[in-house]
Amino acid sequence: MKLGIVIEVVKNVFTKPMTVLFPFEKIEIPERNRGEHEFNIDTCISCGACARICPNLAIEMVEVPSELREKYPKTYPQVDLGKCCFCALCEDTCPKESIKLTTNFYFATFDKDDTILYPVKAE
Amino acid sequence: MSTMSDDSKNSLLEEKLIKNLNTKLGVSINFQKERRLWTSIDSDKIVDICTKAYEMGFEHLSTISVTDWLEEGKHELVYHLWSYSHKVLLTIKTKIDRKNPNISSINSIWGANAETCERECHELFGVKFEGNPNLTPLFLEDWEGPPPFLKDFNWREYVKEETYDQNNPREKVYFEVKK
Amino acid sequence: MTEINEQKVTGDFSMYFGPAHPGSGNFSIKCEMRGERVLKATADPGYLHRGFEKLMEYREPMQNAVLSDRVCVLEPLQWNLVHAEAVDYLMEYEVPERAKYIRVILAELSRIQSHFIWYAAMSLGTGFMTGFNIAIGYRDYILDVLNLITGGRVYPAGYICPGGVRKDLPEKAENKILELLPKIDYMRKFALKQNPAWLARFKEIGTLTKEEAIKFGAVGPILRGCGVESDVRRDDPYEIYDELEFDVPVMDDGDAYARFTVGMQEIEESMKIITQSIDRLPKGEVKTPNLKPRVQFQKAEGEIYIRNELSRGEGAFYMVATGQKTPYRVKIRGPSFTHMIPIIEHLLTDVAYADVPAIYWSMYQCPADVDR
Ligand code: SF4
Ligand code: SF4
Repeated sequence: MKLGIVIEVVKNVFTKPMTVLFPFEKIEIPERNRGEHEFNIDTCISCGACARICPNLAIEMVEVPSELREKYPKTYPQVDLGKCCFCALCEDTCPKESIKLTTNFYFATFDKDDTILYPVKAE
Repeated sequence: MSTMSDDSKNSLLEEKLIKNLNTKLGVSINFQKERRLWTSIDSDKIVDICTKAYEMGFEHLSTISVTDWLEEGKHELVYHLWSYSHKVLLTIKTKIDRKNPNISSINSIWGANAETCERECHELFGVKFEGNPNLTPLFLEDWEGPPPFLKDFNWREYVKEETYDQNNPREKVYFEVKK
Repeated sequence: MTEINEQKVTGDFSMYFGPAHPGSGNFSIKCEMRGERVLKATADPGYLHRGFEKLMEYREPMQNAVLSDRVCVLEPLQWNLVHAEAVDYLMEYEVPERAKYIRVILAELSRIQSHFIWYAAMSLGTGFMTGFNIAIGYRDYILDVLNLITGGRVYPAGYICPGGVRKDLPEKAENKILELLPKIDYMRKFALKQNPAWLARFKEIGTLTKEEAIKFGAVGPILRGCGVESDVRRDDPYEIYDELEFDVPVMDDGDAYARFTVGMQEIEESMKIITQSIDRLPKGEVKTPNLKPRVQFQKAEGEIYIRNELSRGEGAFYMVATGQKTPYRVKIRGPSFTHMIPIIEHLLTDVAYADVPAIYWSMYQCPADVDR
């Protein structure tokens, strides 16, 4: 019994720990991970399917800022990550694969407005 | 463990069970699919039939559920009983008036288990179970409105009024939803 | 001296166990105490009542699949499966064979990680922090694989969806799962080690007889710990469970230790199921053809009561469809509902307060599915 404990201790000294040293070492995130959205405005056809299926009403179809309106005249999805449950239904339903969920999961923020993903940023 | 070959044997057993139940309970039993039987009865016979079913081996009260049929003006109570010996689920349905939702409690058979299920139905649908001494609120605290799971209680309206602010740009989208 | 002693004699008072107790979950029990003994306990659920049954009446099946994860934190994939089966029946979907195998593999992985949490919670409740840390650590290996397959560590977001599964297994997922099994086995053996402190805390504590268990509607490991051999996977088989070989562990004692041991023995059976299913995993589609994310529920009519064996026992969905876009009525039966209200009130009569955590956690509680 006592020897068992000693063996266990010795083994544990030489095995790799379960955790990693976070900011320096990172765990590999699988490709399927449902993280922050990536939106490609050039392929989007403004069908609104993503906004209709979103269970949390996190997607709103909005117009782009006025200086870009000539190039992008329609309405485009704007995602509020604060409401999103990361279900990826928008990704599944998009006919053009314009909206995708990526492996980025670092969203912690102090400002509520930072959680909104605009379809395109004004320069 | 049932394999493909004794499926026919199983259905024979089930047929026998249906006949047996028909005579013992005095109701007509319908077959939905494998291991699922159901029957529809009058609400005043519920204690009697549940007692007989219990004696026939339907020992496990899985749950009691209420469906609110608004157009018909009825509440449908559904009792799901499982038998460990026959390995069959018997669903007993009964309809009661929506305006006067009263039914006898089955706590004489399943004791505290039935009482808890009934408490939930009472709280969420307003069904009154006669003979259940403990119909106190279960989940909702300080709730004074109508039973919230009724079909004519519009949850979304209630939440909008109580919780959301139309002037908040992030919440205004909730006001555009229909229904 | 006598004066002080007299002052120390306490009368009857009431004491709350939870919801602020570490690890009690969002659940509380009001104990009527006399000195150190609990005379009577009243369960007080409702801290997690989110009204899922009503919420599902407002949403379409695919959105409900996402919602069904949230019924319980411990076993989201299994709740996905129950929901998906209910919709499959109502919509008369033919689920492809490969999808059925994937569903079973994931449900069993989910069962194992849930049992690890059980061990972790029991250790935490009795002050055995090493057990807690090690179990949560080993659970993380399973979560990594779940993340690889479903895209989420804990919540799969409706990965098991009506009509199949949302995506096929990624490359090498089978190998990753098989690599997991030795780690799981190590953890299982660790949990089952005869530990005198553990025995002292859980043996002959919270004993439930067979008759009481059936009358109060106990299910799952709690019922099997009382000597009733019943398992929904075997008695009411769904998916491919009737083709697989596994045992149903049973113990006769009915105390906290028996319940826990049954749970840990189940891990071995789950491992058997996983190995068998991976061996036989067929090739082919994983979704009903033409299944769109927007499932049309319009033509579905009827009702169904689907029972599944979750890690904590029988979980069920009662779904009524009347040809609308959304289900007309959904009723969720969580396994903890009976365990946490009638049974815990029954068990917590005339016990020492120090035994309350041991009994509480041996019931394998999850307040989320009591309240829904
Ligand atoms: S991931 Fe889900 S919740 Fe988030 S925006 Fe897409 S559909 Fe909506
Ligand atoms: S992102 Fe896709 S689904 Fe959404 S509007 Fe654009 S094309 Fe349609």
